[in-house]
Amino acid sequence: MNKLSKLLLTLTFALSITSSAFAVTVASWGGAYTESQKLGYGDPTAKKLGIEINWVDYSGGLSEIKAQKEAGAINWDIMDVFAMDTITGCDEGIFVEFDFDKDFPAAPDGTPASEDFFTSMPSKCAVGNILYSWNYAYNSENVSGTPKTIKDFFNTKKFPGKRAIYKSALTNLEIALAADGVKMGKGGELIYRKLEADGGVDRAIAKIKALCSDPNGGCVFWSAGAQPPELLMSGEVVMATGWNGRFFNATIGEGAPIVQVWDGQGLDYEYFALVKGGPDEANAKKALAMMTNTEMLAGSAKYIAYAPWRKSSIAVMEAGEPWYKDGKTNMVPHMPTAPANLKKYFLVDADFWADNSTEIGEKWEAMKAGL
Amino acid sequence: MSSETQKILTTDGIPLEESLKKAEKKNKIKAFLLVAPLLLYLLITYIFPIGDMFLRSIDDKMVTTMLPKTFKAMEKWDGKELPEEEVFEAFYLDYRILVKEKSFGKLATQLNYEKNGFKSILKKLARKQKKFEEGNYKEQIMKVHKRWANVEYWRAIKRRAPEYTYSKYLKGVDMYENEEGKIVQVEESRRVHKKLWLRTLEIAFFVTLLCFLMAYPIAHLLATLPMKYSNLLMICVLLPFWTSLLVRTASWMILLQQQGIVNDFFVWIGLVADDNRPEMMYNKTGTYVAMTQILLPFMVLPLYSVMKTISPSLMRAGKSLGGTPFVAFWKVYFPLTIPGIGAGCLLVFILAIGYYITPALVGGASGTLISNQIAFHMKSTLDWSFASAMGLMLLVGVLAIYWVYNKLVGIDNIKLG
Repeated sequence: MNKLSKLLLTLTFALSITSSAFAVTVASWGGAYTESQKLGYGDPTAKKLGIEINWVDYSGGLSEIKAQKEAGAINWDIMDVFAMDTITGCDEGIFVEFDFDKDFPAAPDGTPASEDFFTSMPSKCAVGNILYSWNYAYNSENVSGTPKTIKDFFNTKKFPGKRAIYKSALTNLEIALAADGVKMGKGGELIYRKLEADGGVDRAIAKIKALCSDPNGGCVFWSAGAQPPELLMSGEVVMATGWNGRFFNATIGEGAPIVQVWDGQGLDYEYFALVKGGPDEANAKKALAMMTNTEMLAGSAKYIAYAPWRKSSIAVMEAGEPWYKDGKTNMVPHMPTAPANLKKYFLVDADFWADNSTEIGEKWEAMKAGL
Repeated sequence: MSSETQKILTTDGIPLEESLKKAEKKNKIKAFLLVAPLLLYLLITYIFPIGDMFLRSIDDKMVTTMLPKTFKAMEKWDGKELPEEEVFEAFYLDYRILVKEKSFGKLATQLNYEKNGFKSILKKLARKQKKFEEGNYKEQIMKVHKRWANVEYWRAIKRRAPEYTYSKYLKGVDMYENEEGKIVQVEESRRVHKKLWLRTLEIAFFVTLLCFLMAYPIAHLLATLPMKYSNLLMICVLLPFWTSLLVRTASWMILLQQQGIVNDFFVWIGLVADDNRPEMMYNKTGTYVAMTQILLPFMVLPLYSVMKTISPSLMRAGKSLGGTPFVAFWKVYFPLTIPGIGAGCLLVFILAIGYYITPALVGGASGTLISNQIAFHMKSTLDWSFASAMGLMLLVGVLAIYWVYNKLVGIDNIKLG
């Protein structure tokens, strides 16, 4: 090896070391979603702070970070997680606890961070990122008439055909009770009270079972977010529950004849959590504070139809309409938090699911096994 | 005349026997050193992780050390009625320390595995206990949430008292040990694991059978055709092998769904009516088709490698000695292929029993297998001890099948090539 190439090698090595020392690693879900995070607030934050932010894909859950922690080699600084995982991760001591108003900047008008968020956080280790919706949609070419309510999703007489629902019980029990005539209450309070009461879960499961074993109905269980629009387009099912961002992409992005129904939607959140003892905790904390400020959060909604977590971000979007990246679509009406979409909804109760998911999971699987 | 026989010496004066032993020892060490890397590899990648998994599945020291006073006070409690004040007091004292150390979350997670509903009431208790007054803890705790007055929850705590437990294994077959120490089934609406075990075995069995039925003629053709054609055929067998598993699964979904290509074709040739298309996807049919196609090469290759070594003259000899083609095949050819059949079937069965992506995507309601359940506990509930227990049960199941196979056919008869 000649001297020059040796020198080059040393240089690149040194460079890679120094750059990795200032790199913050974020684990997220990949696909269009991570793309929106990266373009919306990841890259701008990295530029402003003069650090590098790396995005890695993972498939959810806490098993990987727990394994990293047990092995004593933590690779991730920030994770994009479900509410339930922030609760479990906080309990297990995997994530850092926040002091919201101190750790996160206030809204432009001076509202403290904790009041700028739509609801309170599920745990002390979580900071909001996006709000998304579990709603349902139908293919207008395959359905005669227009389904309008959550009851219509279960009405196989008026709208015969198969339905696609999520593979696990999460949000299925809630819509089953809502369709069975249980009042929602504020943010779905009454639904969860019913589910916690004796027989509530069984009643909801029975409603789903009736739909799935109905000769005019029947169920396809989806597991990946891309499936519901695909199942609707292929005509495999007439209606499908799914995530609103995916339906939005199919309709606006690809021009598919898919119509979303917001009645009885379940609002759910996605959070960031800061890993305790991550490779660059100090910079990660700084980056996290900046990524979740008003401007930055609004940025991600340019690329995907999920609502930013801060109320003040909506104002930024409204002022900048048409906000979608194509430059002609108004984004605010497509947000799960738009007033027209919020007439009847429930907030997915992370505490309820953290408490009961194993037992309900067993009952759910037993029901599916008996179909 | 000496009574001892003369010892034979080597040229350098050492008794031959000793010299031989020395050389043998040297050889043994050399041989051991040669296999040492492999042994080390086996230890590190198999024995150690499996041992760790086993320990995880029975170790329950964490809860035992978190609630020492409670378990001491519970020794006298028979588990029938709500425990006495002293148990409540001991629990309060233990729990206060955990809250101060901020480790109560771990206890909540652990107890929630035992009985759902613990998480929220423990958290509530952590908040409320700061304002507790001295004395009468039973009433104060019960006031925090009505579940604390439910004896089931106290029984669940008591079940976690021993340092080691086999309860995770019982849970794996839908059983538990009740307060009288009897092993009973869980309530009917929650019995799911047994169903999943049976379904996993059933699917693995039929996939193996289908693979065998389809692979045998293909392998025979591959082994007997002239090189020119058999190479092409071999590529056809291997091509899907090189394609991503998810791609293959997804393409089956496109082909077999109700509005899919296969169904369209059936309608076009008039085999079925347009409004009565058969369901071939999101049920067991879909699972069998997709899994059989994916696992087929694992059956074809061992069969092929065995058939390749069978001389065609054997069949001719069988026929010339008066056998019909069928008799010649059944008496001569088939027995010679048994080592390949054994290898292929074991391979496919063992792979099928641990499969989960494909059934989850194409299996619909019946798409959940035991491995999905293991993944669920690994990833979302973080109940690794239960996941380990089920993983070990699966491993033991596979070993049992291996043992049965050995008894019936003999493991020496296996041949991969």
